Amino acid sequence: MKISKKVSVPWHIVFLITIFLLIFPIVFAVGSSFKTLQDAYNNPLSLFSLNPTLENYQTFFDSLPALQITLNTFLIASVVTIFKVVTSFLAAYAFVYFIFKGKNTLYFILISTIFLPFTVTMIPNYLIISNLGLSDSLWGVVLPQLADAMGIFLLTQALRTIPVSLIEVARLDDMSHWQIMRDIVLPLARPAVTSTSIWFFITAWNEYVWPVLILKSTENFTLPLALQMYISSEGGTNFTVAMAVSVITMIIPLALYLMFQRYIIGTFTSSGIK
Amino acid sequence: MTASLKKISANKQAWFAYGMLLPSVVIMAVFMFWPFLYTIYLSFFDWNMIKPTKEFVGLQNYINVLKDPITYKVFWNSAVYIFILLVINFTVPYIFAFILDFVIGKMNGFYKSAFFLPAFISLVVGSILFTWILNPISGPVAIVMGWFGLEMPIWSKLDGWVIFVLSLITSWKIFGYNFILLYASINGISREIIEAARLDNVPLWKIFFHIVVPMSSATGIYIFIITIVQGLQFAFTPIKVITQGGPNYASSNVIYHAYHEAFVLYRTGHSAALSILTMVIFVILLILEFKYVERGIYYENK
Repeated sequence: MKISKKVSVPWHIVFLITIFLLIFPIVFAVGSSFKTLQDAYNNPLSLFSLNPTLENYQTFFDSLPALQITLNTFLIASVVTIFKVVTSFLAAYAFVYFIFKGKNTLYFILISTIFLPFTVTMIPNYLIISNLGLSDSLWGVVLPQLADAMGIFLLTQALRTIPVSLIEVARLDDMSHWQIMRDIVLPLARPAVTSTSIWFFITAWNEYVWPVLILKSTENFTLPLALQMYISSEGGTNFTVAMAVSVITMIIPLALYLMFQRYIIGTFTSSGIK
Repeated sequence: MTASLKKISANKQAWFAYGMLLPSVVIMAVFMFWPFLYTIYLSFFDWNMIKPTKEFVGLQNYINVLKDPITYKVFWNSAVYIFILLVINFTVPYIFAFILDFVIGKMNGFYKSAFFLPAFISLVVGSILFTWILNPISGPVAIVMGWFGLEMPIWSKLDGWVIFVLSLITSWKIFGYNFILLYASINGISREIIEAARLDNVPLWKIFFHIVVPMSSATGIYIFIITIVQGLQFAFTPIKVITQGGPNYASSNVIYHAYHEAFVLYRTGHSAALSILTMVIFVILLILEFKYVERGIYYENK
């Protein structure tokens, strides 16, 4: 089906403008993070400074325990990812390869929590974490995130694409479920498991709503919490430092995205609905 | 497929399945289902999270919520948020996905990657970046507008404007995800029907409304609902970071207001009642969705 260039060229322009609107803030942040405040105010439209400086990064490391904060973010995201991949994978495996009583009902109940707003669980969760003595601790942030509907959903969709006949043959060969999982299902599902893990990692890395309730002291902060400290002084002197902290906050997610975008887009594309 | 699955289950290993489900079920029971029930319970009590005793007040919290003019303000604001979020993150990506697949047909990989990229970045980062880019005095947008003699409104202080800008920031994060799913769904539609329609010179907009939208309706409805339910929750972050619901509740929505009641004003019962009311509205939306499903909307993957 050929469509004339006359129709498609204006749309290319619309799409490129959209991309500019989406990507410009990121480029702007990177550029501003290497400017002095003076420079940023004098030349707000020049993306990159003629005299780049690292002083904004220096200020972040001097004023907050920046290494500790970055490490906290990394630890929380890693622990959440490892646990969530395991719990979601096990659940998905059960939903796809087993028949048991109440399967459809249970799947429906678990998945429908995607539609639960966090406000209907936040107060009790806050009380649970406080009563466990885990407020203002990394474990307090991690615990409620160890399993969720989105993970089960994505991995169930991924496992459904693996032919059941393969599993059947393996069963006839008397392979145990653990062997089947390790030697057949996991290798075949690796792209989906990888991209789901990366999605978990980034979601936990960026998580803000829950940590902001739990974490109080700066040495326990994650990067998004450290970052929001720089907005309180609107019009103030912290603008370029905020840009530097933004760059530090987004550099890992961006790197992971650029490396794995094919897998990740593929997984979301094939996840489809239901 | 069902027959072969039965062979596996014939080994009477259903217990194995329950074992595999246990970790997820336990975690979700403790941090999702029990808290949900406990929030319902709290909505019938007067409490402030600190007092040792909770006082049973029956429906009083619900009555207070419904009598409070701020409730209507935040519900109205939520409707405005939903409207803007749906236009930018449902209507636009639906059309874009169609255009990319059927009109442009080239560079799909590039456009998909670029649109999806902000979905990976923290909304706190997004909020900070846009606060400066849209700064009414010294931000780049204000300066460019100045060249044309235009003045940037002080959006964070103005009713209406503030919701619009916070919705834009939220959209920056969710646009790409919605686009990817809608594109996948439209991409899965059989080419033959559309080829035939094009040979008959059916205009593009008719193809879109009469063929593409109906044949991608399962994904379409999912995106529609997820944009409403999660969009309001995503908007929490820019609200909290930039305006704290202000000025005078002008940018608050039901999600932020429930948080504000619980963790700023410590009115636990009021917050719980508001959350449950919000939840009821969401459930009604879901029931509407499943009614559609029962009527047999088109499932592209089956």
